Amino acid sequence: MLRNLLFATLLVICSAAAAQEKVTLNGYIKDADNGEELLGVTIYIPSLKAGTVTNDYGFYALTLPKGSYEIRFSYIGYKEQVRTLDLQGDVTLNLEMQTDAQVIQEIVIEEKPLDENVVAVQMSKNTLNMNQVRKLPALFGEIDIIKNIQMLPGVITAGEGSSSFFVRGGSADQNLILIDEAPVYDPSHLFGLFSVFNADVIKDSELYKGGIPARFGGRLSSILEVRTKDGNNKEFDVTGGIGTMASRIAIEGPIVPEKSSFIVSARRSYVDFILKAASQDNLVHFYDVNAKFNWKSNNSNRFFLAFYTGRDVFNFDDNFGFEWGNMTGTFRWNHLFSERLFSNTSIIISNFDYKLGLQDAVQGFRWISNLQEFSFREDLSYSLNTNNELAFGYHLTGRRFSPGEISPTTTSSIFETVELQHMYALDHALYLSNLQRLSDRITLDYGVRLSIFQNIGPGSVYLYEDPKDNIDIHRTDTLHFDKGEGIKTYINIEPRLAVRYLLKEGQSLKFSYNRMVQNTHLISAGTAPVPFNTWNPSNYYLKPQVADQVAAGYFRNFRQNQYEFSAEAYYKDISNVTDFADNAQIFFNEDLSTEYRQGDAWAYGLELFLNKKEGKFTGNASYTWSKTMRKVEGVNLGKEFRANHDRRNVFNIQAAYDLNEKWVFGGAFTFSTGRPLTLPAGKYEYGNYNPDVLTERNGYLLPSFHRLDLSVTLNPRKNASRNWKGQWVFSVYNAYNRKNPFTIYTRTRQDEDGNILGDGSEKEARLIYLFPVLPSVTYNFKF
Amino acid sequence: MQRYIKISLLAIALISCEETTDLDLKQTPSKIVIEGLLTDQPGYQSVEISRSTGFYGSGQTPRVLDATVKVTDDAGLEFNFIHNPRNHPDSAGIYIPEVGFSGEAGRVYTLHVTVDGESYEASDKLLSVAPIDSLKFQINENEQDDPKEEGKFYELLVYAREPQDEENFYLFRYYRNDSLIFYNPSDVYYSDDELLAEKIDGVPSPVYYASNDKARLEFYSLTRNGYVFYNDLSTILNNDGGGMFGPIPSSPRTNLSNGALGFFQVSAVQEKETYIE
Repeated sequence: MLRNLLFATLLVICSAAAAQEKVTLNGYIKDADNGEELLGVTIYIPSLKAGTVTNDYGFYALTLPKGSYEIRFSYIGYKEQVRTLDLQGDVTLNLEMQTDAQVIQEIVIEEKPLDENVVAVQMSKNTLNMNQVRKLPALFGEIDIIKNIQMLPGVITAGEGSSSFFVRGGSADQNLILIDEAPVYDPSHLFGLFSVFNADVIKDSELYKGGIPARFGGRLSSILEVRTKDGNNKEFDVTGGIGTMASRIAIEGPIVPEKSSFIVSARRSYVDFILKAASQDNLVHFYDVNAKFNWKSNNSNRFFLAFYTGRDVFNFDDNFGFEWGNMTGTFRWNHLFSERLFSNTSIIISNFDYKLGLQDAVQGFRWISNLQEFSFREDLSYSLNTNNELAFGYHLTGRRFSPGEISPTTTSSIFETVELQHMYALDHALYLSNLQRLSDRITLDYGVRLSIFQNIGPGSVYLYEDPKDNIDIHRTDTLHFDKGEGIKTYINIEPRLAVRYLLKEGQSLKFSYNRMVQNTHLISAGTAPVPFNTWNPSNYYLKPQVADQVAAGYFRNFRQNQYEFSAEAYYKDISNVTDFADNAQIFFNEDLSTEYRQGDAWAYGLELFLNKKEGKFTGNASYTWSKTMRKVEGVNLGKEFRANHDRRNVFNIQAAYDLNEKWVFGGAFTFSTGRPLTLPAGKYEYGNYNPDVLTERNGYLLPSFHRLDLSVTLNPRKNASRNWKGQWVFSVYNAYNRKNPFTIYTRTRQDEDGNILGDGSEKEARLIYLFPVLPSVTYNFKF
Repeated sequence: MQRYIKISLLAIALISCEETTDLDLKQTPSKIVIEGLLTDQPGYQSVEISRSTGFYGSGQTPRVLDATVKVTDDAGLEFNFIHNPRNHPDSAGIYIPEVGFSGEAGRVYTLHVTVDGESYEASDKLLSVAPIDSLKFQINENEQDDPKEEGKFYELLVYAREPQDEENFYLFRYYRNDSLIFYNPSDVYYSDDELLAEKIDGVPSPVYYASNDKARLEFYSLTRNGYVFYNDLSTILNNDGGGMFGPIPSSPRTNLSNGALGFFQVSAVQEKETYIE
């Protein structure tokens, strides 16, 4: 299989070399102000009705017959550029685009080529425009792209104050979250109140929900690609902000003008301030540091080094504390082997760890856990001819999982050192895909990804009398594996297909199919993951999760692309979805494999999305209807049940209005059906306790969730005449102060001080809600 | 140890508010609840049988007075249990042995209960329990600063040797002047020995005493089954509800057959008492 794939790749490349009457136009497209590469710029040749877009590195290549062409470069928020070129040989055209100062004018004069929404083969993808995000209200004024992702169609949240999200019926761990290509295993700060992404350094972010390109793999439901800025390579800039929750600062500038630049940013919270517990000796904070350096040696060689680290630290006055954090590093080399063959080579590291500890002479302990990943990636794209663009590559990933080690902190501690065994995995992936223009109307993107996943030694596998018995655990034997020895290998072929059919007058139909395979599994028995959850590789007992998704959609632009509309329907079928037995013990369990339960999940839904990207009034509205079910042997007595994130109706609207250069107004409204939850069907007595009788899993719904947020941004007029640009952002979260349900728990009936009411036999249900109306002020600056 | 994870997750509670809400709950048929305890101490064996009620019910749940109850062991002995022989009003629903007996270490006991023609069975093994070496007490300064109950801020310190060559599970019961006490009504005090070293020197109690109190600690052996039951029970009693961060609530795994709730616990018991002076 592997050899055939390589052979096919070579064949295509060789046949390409034979057709020589073609020339290639390529180059990088940048922002004229700061030199940042622009991703997704449309390059369009009206006479051929053909074009392309810049790739993730701002590079484009078009292979064309020799001749003279008018070429249009367009990008949202930038002035369109038109160049006429006589192409008699290969040409490199690097272009700088000016931001469109006229954006706030409503009048559109010229005819523009259709934008990505209609033309691109890719469907089920949303791009967050950071300029737009900045105009919208944010919790505590702290801009958080994850919260904006949660407002997209097809994306469901577990509740407010959570950084987890669920895409088209997938679990929270089925999203691959990348920062500069490096995976982030837990994107949360403060258990999800904020995410790890500091908005000041983000260039753009994209969410793929379906029709996922072959270059991505490893998770079932979505890819969230977050890219940070390269740093201004023309002049020095300092930006920052002082908020209610955190402050941040970023410094960027050229090292060698036009050739090399850097950006360094930091953010630190002062959460302690808002916590009720602030009066005690409790210290809670988080921080993020991003740094990036790039060197554009020449057009053919560009180097990037990106680094991120962030951490949450909680300390309580009784000497108990815990912390968690991510660290990622990316080295990237963009190389042009020829006019047509673009290469990106990356070396990536990612680390996630958490620690808990108690300082005490008798009960002192330290608990540590971490996950490390190292990967090498080679991604190539080859512009074969006007109608075919190939993408292919190889990814190698090694992972080390250290689920936990507990050790005593003093010699008088009652604890002994216990360590769960490490797990190792090696993952090879090869892919090949072709973007092929069949006719003026039909374009295809088809490909395949081959993943070879190995759980390797050193390690031991316990064999059990009954591997699913988590009460009477009887180990019958232990298999030992040496370093590097294969414990279990899973080979999967993942076909990918996307089709776009262009209808008349700015409309298109799209269809896609993808198979995704996931070999890293989050060990979480709750709805929203927490940082203390660990990950396991597919192993002797745990099979890879496999998802097949088909999606079809109708795409239409109105009024010269001012409005984009899409309607998409999907069906997703997941086999071996990872779940856990009722009452599973997922923390520090040497026999965790007895708790694994894998089964089926299926989801389908309809998503409507209307987006206005230009003009004084911008924003989007979406409605999603979806259904997500599961059936897992050993869970809910094997009967099918609603998934934890099965919220049937979701309606979101986000809008901004640029009144003038001074004032910008923003608003967001969200409505969704309540989250399913498990409530008691009765109670009983056992000793002094009165536990609930529980029957059906997720048999109830929390009340509906809805919330309105508002914001006003003030850009003082004096900014125009001085170097220091200030900006005030006033926002109100939960404007009409709804008590939105977070969860419900039960307890013995008692008063607010914890005194039992009645004879102690009565119970009550308590509704927890998080945020009342919350005003906040943020001051942003740039100089 | 895992309770520290639970404590950590409560950090979110620092910013949350809550209020009592009325739930419109589905009614399910009431279920049989069995609380069986068989120990190695004479006169300390009983089986209590009741029924579950609706969530919003008040007062004692209904007792079952007409069950047939017996215990057999793996040596072929049979012990008949009779309902509340002294007709004590507080003991309705409680069945005790017709002829007194004590459990023996190493024996497996099986409970047989029949109610309205339906049979329920459960088996558990009597494991030995390590003795408590001594009890001491000291003032807990945090509790003294802000006592939950006035004057009660002495904690018991437990000294014991944890046998390292076998897997042990324990249940603890604390008594203050002969009354069973809990710090919070939903607390379950139990442990496995997976992380425990041999020397247990001065582990503080989770409950507090006033001076002149009589403090007593009972130390029960549990089988792995018993540990699983109490661990599950503790999880649902202290659930964050609906499984937001914690697990989705689910009935404790029990050794009882036929859908009965509760547990049949067979334990060796050690006790130690001291006066706080």
